[in-house]
Amino acid sequence: MSERRYDFSSLMQSKVTWAVIAELLILLVCFVIRPDFFSISYQPSTGMLYGSLIDIVNRSAEITIISMGMTLVIALGGTDLSVGALVAVAGAIALKFLRWDVLTYTTPGDYTVYPYILVLGVPLVVCALMGLFNGFLVAKGGIQPIIATLILMVCGRGVAQILTDGKQFTTGYSPFRIIGQGSFLYLPMPIIITIVVVLAVAIFTRKTAFGAFVESVGVNPSASKLSGIKAANVILIVFMITGLLSGIAGLIYSSRIMSNDSNNAGLNFEMDAILAVVIGGTNMSGGKFSLAGTVVGSLIIRTIVTFVYYFGIVAEATMAFKALIIAVVIVLQSEPVRKYFAKRAALRQGGARA
Amino acid sequence: MDKNILEMKGITIQFPGVKALDGVDFSLRAGEIHSLLGENGAGKSTLIKCLTGVNKMDAGKILLDGKEIAPTDPGNAIELGISAVFQEINLCPNLSVAENIFVGRQPMKHGQINWNEINKRASELMSRFHLDIDVTRPLSYYSTAIQQMTSIARAVDIQAKILILDEPTSSLDENEVQLLFSVMHELKAAGMGIIFITHFLDQIYAVSDRMTILRNGHLVGTYNIDELTKFELVTKMVGKDMDVIFSLKRAEVAPDADYMLKAEHIGDASKINDISINVKKGELVGFAGLLGSGRTETAEMLFGATRTVKGDIYIDGEKIILRQPFDAIKADIAFCPEDRKRDGIIGDLSIRENIMLAVQSRKGFMKPMTRQEQTELANKYIKMLGIATPDCEKKAGELSGGNQQKVILARWMAASPKVLILDEPTRGIDIGAKAEIQRLMLEMCGEGVSVIFISSEFDEIIRCSNRIVIMRDRAKVTEVKGEICTQQDILKIIAEGAA
Repeated sequence: MSERRYDFSSLMQSKVTWAVIAELLILLVCFVIRPDFFSISYQPSTGMLYGSLIDIVNRSAEITIISMGMTLVIALGGTDLSVGALVAVAGAIALKFLRWDVLTYTTPGDYTVYPYILVLGVPLVVCALMGLFNGFLVAKGGIQPIIATLILMVCGRGVAQILTDGKQFTTGYSPFRIIGQGSFLYLPMPIIITIVVVLAVAIFTRKTAFGAFVESVGVNPSASKLSGIKAANVILIVFMITGLLSGIAGLIYSSRIMSNDSNNAGLNFEMDAILAVVIGGTNMSGGKFSLAGTVVGSLIIRTIVTFVYYFGIVAEATMAFKALIIAVVIVLQSEPVRKYFAKRAALRQGGARA
Repeated sequence: MDKNILEMKGITIQFPGVKALDGVDFSLRAGEIHSLLGENGAGKSTLIKCLTGVNKMDAGKILLDGKEIAPTDPGNAIELGISAVFQEINLCPNLSVAENIFVGRQPMKHGQINWNEINKRASELMSRFHLDIDVTRPLSYYSTAIQQMTSIARAVDIQAKILILDEPTSSLDENEVQLLFSVMHELKAAGMGIIFITHFLDQIYAVSDRMTILRNGHLVGTYNIDELTKFELVTKMVGKDMDVIFSLKRAEVAPDADYMLKAEHIGDASKINDISINVKKGELVGFAGLLGSGRTETAEMLFGATRTVKGDIYIDGEKIILRQPFDAIKADIAFCPEDRKRDGIIGDLSIRENIMLAVQSRKGFMKPMTRQEQTELANKYIKMLGIATPDCEKKAGELSGGNQQKVILARWMAASPKVLILDEPTRGIDIGAKAEIQRLMLEMCGEGVSVIFISSEFDEIIRCSNRIVIMRDRAKVTEVKGEICTQQDILKIIAEGAA
């Protein structure tokens, strides 16, 4: 049998193609309005590249990382609403360890009270366990994911508040600053972390059979179990990964502001992550997923926000503007539109052959 | 009565890659019951969907009462007088019977819905079908048969000229079928044209006036009901001789063969109390019994889908404990479940992924098969089982029922099991595919696999089984040898509850 053929018509049917087209269109508009949007310069003092494009990728890091996990959750046919709250939890724990005793260390300085390994390790472990808790409710309790994760969505921020006594700590510890503000190979550190996470998730799902199992359980849990897949384990692992990735995003977020912010850290991240996944072409009802599509989806969301800032659209209109562009993207990806273009492409191709 | 109310001429519908219908002619007279026949994938549903405006024609025309029509969607088709009742009932279960009949066109009085009128007229309609029921109860309160009647009543009330019944009898019992038939006769007498689709040959002969046979999207012909014998009919549907099905030979089991599967006094927590099943190497054991006799429950215990709370199961002399299906797969047991859609096929995944699933889950996800290995495996079974598909990347959900069953069979054959349990593998698939699945089953026995075959069709059980376990009321009644058994014997044992 032949290799699968990717002809133009099937390419136009793919949602990922449309996500890429949408992203390019937005960038094109940016370019037309201001050609210097694409300029990238090197800043020797920080050893980093600067420019709008770099900034878009850098600022999309948290959502991209979280949405890697969200892609798997959605492929299982669920959603994880708790990711934003876990971002706040991770930040709160990290800052607690950086400055345990607020009375002794009243000014933010270049120090940490507890070993750095705990500053990084404990938030990640706690977030992974919280993800596991979500997974447990879903896999063993049979609770719908949207309800199960609502619990931590609501109480996660409360936990973060309790951990920090409702205070907002700041720190000046330089190794911690590197996570969100440092650089590596001329690129901001969050970009590097994002690349590592995306590759790790891609390898874990696509180089093993895990991705296929996730898709199978997402499409038909009953048939998957009867084919020998331990569906409960798959669900537990997916939610745990999502929790862990939220923790990583939380560390990046709090390193950017060198502080914890239990109220606003990760606010609405769950919505952006779900949106990134959906724009990236993964169906909310579960099944086939596309990690590459999700990355593009996340970039689109950030590009829109940057666009709004860059062109000085009044702050009040930001949300409305974002919604407008997303509406256009979603409509472009809708089935009738894709079918229409695929049909036209097929006709044109047929005409060319004849 | 010879006037055609409906004429479809040269209907052609093209789907990507295949011609679903190729120049099919069909006509329907007023006051006629016309059966539409063909194997799965022959184009029956496509033709119906074309008539109800779901599928668009690429060529051909439809004449209703001599006037050309082009239904744009089901709503439009209903306005034109074409009403369809499908296997899956498309009504609202939470609304009352009366509401379901009149939904969307409620009679009004002073700007308000006239409930008295609705309920009165609904009662009248249902009593026309000899059904004396409370029409204000929610639809879900009633049996499938009555739900179907409600659907038909709706079609009658909107004065449909043409009524399409797509597999209406598949979930009805014998009395309900008779009720449906009497309603059909009444509607026929009133001059309605009825298109009847079913897999049951007896029912075709019981009610139809004429029949039209399709095969692979082509018209085979339209015949009066007395023109063809059943055998001729089936031959025309399948397009090849029925010899295959009659040339099947039972597996030969060596008299001294070892027991591959031994289940001793097993029982689950609720339904089965105590049952013992033995299957020799290369033997085919049939489970005969009515629905609910415990056949499926026993199979599920043997596969670990239900927990066994007592008794012991041995494979090849070794005791095994089945906590979940994975344990059974590890012990080389395979299971094709009864409900193909819900428990078998993973519709959105490709044929390749569906086939490799059991092999992969047995290995665990950390030892993945490469894409090439998967493709080779899939292509091997696509070829061996004759699965009709352009390539192994087609979504399994898009295949016909028979081909889906073959994909599930391939999934388990790929896992090279020692014991294969097949629960109703031939249900709802056409005769050609049925014969092929039986042939495959027997071939596997020949290779030393022990097969448990569950079916409601006693003739196929008798044809294939070495031994038949007869079940009733969630217990084993007796075992009989396949060679010396007739359908009457089985029925008698089931009816009387003793050998």
